[in-house]
Amino acid sequence: METIAKTAAVAAPDQQTVYEQMVSRGVSRREFLKFCGWISACMGLGTEGMAQVANALENKRRIPVVWMHFQECTCCSESFLRSSHPIVADILLDKISLDYTETLLAASGHQAEACLQDTITKYKGEYLLCVEGSVPTGADGAYCCIGGRSAEAILTEVAEGAKAVIAWGNCACSGCVQAAKPNPTGATPIHRLIAGKPVVNVQGCPPIAEVMAGVLVHLLTFDRIPQLDALGRPKAFYSRRVHDTCYRRPNYDAGLFVESFDDDNARKGFCLYKMGCRGPTTYNSCGTIRWNGGVSFPIQSGHGCIGCSESNFWDNGPFYTRLTSFPGFGIETTADRIGMVAGVATVAGVAAHAVLTNIRKHDEIGEQPGESAAAAPPPPAVKPEDKGGTQP
Amino acid sequence: MRTNTLPAPPHAFQRIYVWELPIRFYHWLNALCILTLIVTGFIIANPPAINNGSEAAFSYWFGTTRFIHFAAAYIFVFNLLVRIYWGFVGNQYANWKNFLPLRRAQYREIFTVLRVDILETSNKVIVAIGHNALAYLTYTVLFLVSLFQVASGFALYAKMSHWWLPQLFTWMLPLFGGDASLRNWHHFATWFFIVFTIIHVYLVFYHDYVEGHGVISSMAGGWKFLPTRHREAVQGKSWFTVGKASPPHPGRPGPPP
Amino acid sequence: MSARIVVDPVTRIEGHLRIEAQVENGVITDAWSAGTMVRGLEIILRGRDPRDAWAFCERVCGVCTTVHALASVRSVEDAIGVAVPPNAELIRNIMFCTQYMQDHVVHFYHLHALDWVDVVSALKADPAEASRIAQSISHWPKSSPGYFSDLQKRLVRFVESGQLGIFANGYWGHPAYKLPPAINLIGVAHYLEALEWQKEIVKVHTIFGGKNPHPNYLVGGVPCAINIDEANALNAERLAMVGALLAQAKTFVEQVYLPDLMAVAPYYLDWTKIGGGVSNYLCYGDLPTNGFADIARFKFHRGAILDRDLSHVHEVDPRDPEGIKEFVDHSWYSYQGEGGRHPWDGETTFNFTGPQPPYEHLNVDGKYSWLKTPRWKGHAMEVGPLARMLVGYASGSAEIKDAVTEALAGLNAPASVLFSTLGRTAARGIETRLVARWGLEFYDQLLANIKNGDSRTFTKEKWDPSTWPTTCRGVGASEAPRGALAHWIVINEQKIANYQLVVPTTWNGSPRDAKGERSPYEASLIGTPVHDPKLPLEIIRTIHSFDPCLACAVH
Ligand code: HEM
Ligand code: HEM
Ligand code: NFV
Ligand code: SF4
Ligand code: SF4
Ligand code: F3S
Ligand SMILES: [Mg+2]
Repeated sequence: METIAKTAAVAAPDQQTVYEQMVSRGVSRREFLKFCGWISACMGLGTEGMAQVANALENKRRIPVVWMHFQECTCCSESFLRSSHPIVADILLDKISLDYTETLLAASGHQAEACLQDTITKYKGEYLLCVEGSVPTGADGAYCCIGGRSAEAILTEVAEGAKAVIAWGNCACSGCVQAAKPNPTGATPIHRLIAGKPVVNVQGCPPIAEVMAGVLVHLLTFDRIPQLDALGRPKAFYSRRVHDTCYRRPNYDAGLFVESFDDDNARKGFCLYKMGCRGPTTYNSCGTIRWNGGVSFPIQSGHGCIGCSESNFWDNGPFYTRLTSFPGFGIETTADRIGMVAGVATVAGVAAHAVLTNIRKHDEIGEQPGESAAAAPPPPAVKPEDKGGTQP
Repeated sequence: MRTNTLPAPPHAFQRIYVWELPIRFYHWLNALCILTLIVTGFIIANPPAINNGSEAAFSYWFGTTRFIHFAAAYIFVFNLLVRIYWGFVGNQYANWKNFLPLRRAQYREIFTVLRVDILETSNKVIVAIGHNALAYLTYTVLFLVSLFQVASGFALYAKMSHWWLPQLFTWMLPLFGGDASLRNWHHFATWFFIVFTIIHVYLVFYHDYVEGHGVISSMAGGWKFLPTRHREAVQGKSWFTVGKASPPHPGRPGPPP
Repeated sequence: MSARIVVDPVTRIEGHLRIEAQVENGVITDAWSAGTMVRGLEIILRGRDPRDAWAFCERVCGVCTTVHALASVRSVEDAIGVAVPPNAELIRNIMFCTQYMQDHVVHFYHLHALDWVDVVSALKADPAEASRIAQSISHWPKSSPGYFSDLQKRLVRFVESGQLGIFANGYWGHPAYKLPPAINLIGVAHYLEALEWQKEIVKVHTIFGGKNPHPNYLVGGVPCAINIDEANALNAERLAMVGALLAQAKTFVEQVYLPDLMAVAPYYLDWTKIGGGVSNYLCYGDLPTNGFADIARFKFHRGAILDRDLSHVHEVDPRDPEGIKEFVDHSWYSYQGEGGRHPWDGETTFNFTGPQPPYEHLNVDGKYSWLKTPRWKGHAMEVGPLARMLVGYASGSAEIKDAVTEALAGLNAPASVLFSTLGRTAARGIETRLVARWGLEFYDQLLANIKNGDSRTFTKEKWDPSTWPTTCRGVGASEAPRGALAHWIVINEQKIANYQLVVPTTWNGSPRDAKGERSPYEASLIGTPVHDPKLPLEIIRTIHSFDPCLACAVH
């Protein structure tokens, strides 16, 4: 991806840089650098990274952002608004130009549609597309329409001229709750509908605010999409399992488990593994960045992780058991239940076979008359070639 | 006291060296690994409530259980590789081609075994020096499930390891819809090993009991005992013609004359 | 002069709402409200573990996050017969109050304010004047002339950048904007301050539920354990943080939100005559103070008011098969057989009969929305802050009565002004103030309980599904920020056999019923003057006064 911000700057040369805007708002140079340090720490860039961040924020213009809403619950937008570092909320409002989002736009109806059209035509190839929500492909698009047009048609149009695409949250990344079985509307993650564009999957239901902010800052600062894993998730935030950074991990290794909510072990903060915690199979930053400015995260507040940043986590339930329902056998049929049935059937079959054998094979098993060792004739001589293995 | 004047056997047996040492070694190590993996696996899946320490720093039993699982897993894998290698260099009973039911005669024997040993509707004599064709087939399935268990296990393990080997399997994760569901499959496959072991051990005893060819001890000493009166039946009739014939074992004498 | 106005998307709401309105000679004569996105949660819930349902339901909406989780755990607890410990009730109440404060403040500033506050006019304001007004209505410290002047400069630079972002194409300069520039400037300042503030108050959810949006709930209690002698549980530090956040929130509500509301209202008294809509109001009540079984001691009362007759509060029973029913005559669903369905017998079967997209107009004579149409004893009911204040007032709640009377005195207006667009917006502010107070009350009770040695937060006895009856059913009622919310569950053999949500915005935003009777959105638009049919400012003003949430309404 070549420079997003540079092109934006060409389009609107009189804009301010982020730094200028911050200064105009009374932010001191010191505070600004502190912010840069925080951002680069968040992105794991260390001190050299900080200089790069500072440089980028000082010299770049606001990039137009189009934020679409399809099948969603708006919690990703809500989460984004919670971005917690005091300066971050401001900076994100000022460093991007949020040209379209149904949640905050002053204009409605035709005027809102005009906002969208203006941006995607004026900034063709330069704007950043953010998508919150999945796209229903059932009923020819009738399950989600905006301004009389189907979500799919709108997505195709806005993705066309986008520089890069961010999929916010589990809905856009993997369909989330509406794609849970039986997925009545054909809810589809957006990466399946967009061709030839990088799609950054920012997972979570919702994603952590600072992760959302961090991904945007990365894009703007370095003019390229962050390194992604095989599932399109930024490695900076999704390369570790919740379990790997969970502060209750020592309890896990020690075998100290909560056996029931609010038992003595729960009150001591033991590991929630046996309460169904999905931390061991979930990739997210909850254990490191935590939520809402680092206040807590699900496990710290006593509930297991439900795996909200994983594809299909809704169908990996029930949530409060370690072993989950097994695909293809109906909800709540666990692998163990199937295995137990198979195991019992096997033992029963083997027992029955043993009985049958003693009846049916009686003749072969029992000593034949004249075959008792004592009465047997002397062995025939063994010819030398009969020794050892022979191939018939 | 053994003397040369042993009473004569009911009918004469020919002693045949079937299972070479690597096979026997592989077999018991494999069995041990699998039992260990099943037991530790189930403990991992559903740890017992033994909260004997009040502080995490005092204890590490769950970590140890997992360590044993992973250690057994590595042994299991390399042992499996040894067995695959031996399928190319070992004797004809160990040859890899026996494990693939590619010839019609194998199918014929599978159906015969089903009738004779499983349904017991026939008393035809089957003389298989290695395994019978059905047994080979079940071991093939076992190998395949083992490969799945290895691939899924290492895919799950990849995040806990810096070594490249486990990373080779991470493609399994998206394929099975993420860690949670792959882990579920890994758990599910465990039941195959359990069911296999029950049937396998039973059948080994069954053959020993019904046929008296010394099948059980063959996995210890390598030797099976083929009644000489069955030699005719075997000769020229078995599908079993692949692999190089193992020469008469040099170091071992036949039964005393 | 007749015109059909289409407003789609309606922005500054949650979800996908489309309004079609018929305008004759500058006045709306008919209106249709349609929800245009569906997900099918009720279908997805079938067959699942009832103890998981809260998590699915919570994802119905991230704006009113938690309320569906609350209704859900209550429905399951009702079905299996379990009462939660007092601490769990208090923690749920505190989270409830937190949700109200966050949601109502965000609604007022970020979703509703731009209908009344002209951002462009704020550029012309005299910061000294803004400061004088701000200081005359509140003690809020950030109100110096310098503060407003800095803010104004920032605004000027923003506008001069040419990239107007979310303010582009707004209705700036429209004659329906009536505020003096100084008050517009205060409004814009507090828009930004509220954005900063709202992310603080939700930390109460983070402490008790681990995150926000979508904190965790639990059937039988709350998941966070209390242990004041332990680092890994709710201890003095965690509790103190909750206390501090609640206190800060109360300050913000009392010193920013309410003063702003009372400063803006007098300029828009014409809007006390517009947007009244239906004349029936429904509440399920919430904030139990003596266990959920003791409805009489809820802070928000349960009851219904018909024909704006405040002298009589009708009893409401969500279990009554003839009470609440949902109809689909104008909704894209089909029922087996005729008539409405009580939610325990509810059905959710898609049946889209609308025009294939892209379309210009909906076929409003047939089915035209993904919302079902709920009715109470056949009546269209308005739910929400206004309903809560009216039912509380009419039920004789001293606290609610005082708060409403005080607000009306401030405006120097009779109670009848409440039946309007502005009344609805005012009621929201009034109840936020009450809730800010109550949150601290519940907090003090929680501390007192813990001090007395009660630290239970969960009841284990019915946790194991094998302890449940083979079949059972329950209803979980609540008062979501937008109004009466209830979930009905039928459990069979430990799994969900049927699950139905009837949601505040379903009541308010639904299509008309078989008799042609309009639901609140449609009814409230009738008679609204429209200055310029191309600019839907008046329409969104009234619609926003309900605080629509379409993800909720359709689910
Ligand atoms: C986890 C448990 C076990 C597993 C997975 C297992 C697996 C196998 C496999 C894969 C073979 C084929 C060997 C080859 O061709 O390389 C085999 C053969 C055999 N196993 Fe096991 N085994 C188990 C336990 C046992 C036990 C407990 C016994 C004895 C009591 C036993 C006795 C035998 C015998 C006698 C054979 C040779 C069978 C024949 O000649 O057809 N196995 N086993
Ligand atoms: C016969 C072979 C094996 C059996 C029967 C077996 C069985 C199991 C079982 C039952 C579990 C618990 C699953 C759950 O959480 O529900 C498990 C976990 C696991 N197994 Fe295996 N396993 C086998 C081989 C392997 C191999 C070859 C590996 C490779 C490293 C492996 C790695 C793992 C890992 C990483 C876990 C998850 C443990 C954790 O995250 O704490 N397993 N296994
Ligand atoms: N309508 C609605 Fe909600 C609320 N308040 C739910 O119950 O917004 Ni999303
Ligand atoms: S991913 Fe989750 S949080 Fe985001 S919109 Fe979807 S349901 Fe809401
Ligand atoms: S609480 Fe969950 S994430 Fe934390 S150590 Fe235990 S299992 Fe792992
Ligand atoms: S449920 Fe989600 S918020 Fe984090 S701890 Fe688990 S990924
Ligand atoms: Mg419903």
